[in-house]
Amino acid sequence: MQALGDPTRRAVFEQLRSGPRSVGELASGLPVSRPAVSQHLRVLKGAGLVTDEQQGTRRLYRIARDGLEALRAWFDSFWDAVLAEFKAAAEGEEKV
Amino acid sequence: MSTHPTTAPLLRTVTVAVSAERAFEIFTRRIGDWWPLSTHGCFDDEAAGVAFEGDLLVERSKAGEEAVWGEVLAWEPPDRVAFTWHPGYAAGQPATEVEVRFRARGGATVVELEHRGWERLGERAEEARASYSTGWVGVLDRYAQAV
Repeated sequence: MQALGDPTRRAVFEQLRSGPRSVGELASGLPVSRPAVSQHLRVLKGAGLVTDEQQGTRRLYRIARDGLEALRAWFDSFWDAVLAEFKAAAEGEEKV
Repeated sequence: MSTHPTTAPLLRTVTVAVSAERAFEIFTRRIGDWWPLSTHGCFDDEAAGVAFEGDLLVERSKAGEEAVWGEVLAWEPPDRVAFTWHPGYAAGQPATEVEVRFRARGGATVVELEHRGWERLGERAEEARASYSTGWVGVLDRYAQAV
């Protein structure tokens, strides 16, 4: 899954597993800047893996565990990877 | 009638430089030769293989466990194969459906994979949530650990 292909992004995702966090909280637990964390969150959100909501003055990010969106986003990457293997196998064999 | 965006079928297409007959054969009878089981299966590195066995698509582990990924709904070489899709679910949980179509184009074959039936999960949200907690979320978590 491309969205989780980057080690820092994976670390951001991992941190959200233990519960919702703000950008500041995420940045304080990682050796990267706040803007970098925001950028990673945008990618994760774009992939449907993470959702956010405003709570008072804070914006909290959480893993979209229950969402069909997360499942669908995951399957987008899943089938791309599976079909790539299929193509390689089908064409690789043909050339032999 | 508009389809809700989150329940619309997922479509993925790949063109392979072989005949439709060959493409169908490799996708079905020889699925165990190429499916990336260590990252896209239920048993990770403990996987022994995956195959269409009768009406079932079954993954087996080295320890002899089996995970039924789905039941075959259509088997029409070389045009299409379709099966229910519920790896990671307990039996009886709502299943989505996968259809793979093979269309000859010149000397190549356009392989179109359609993953549909998302509304079944949506309509049965409570059950779907329950199965996510033991099924797909577990797969997702393992995948996140693997990549």
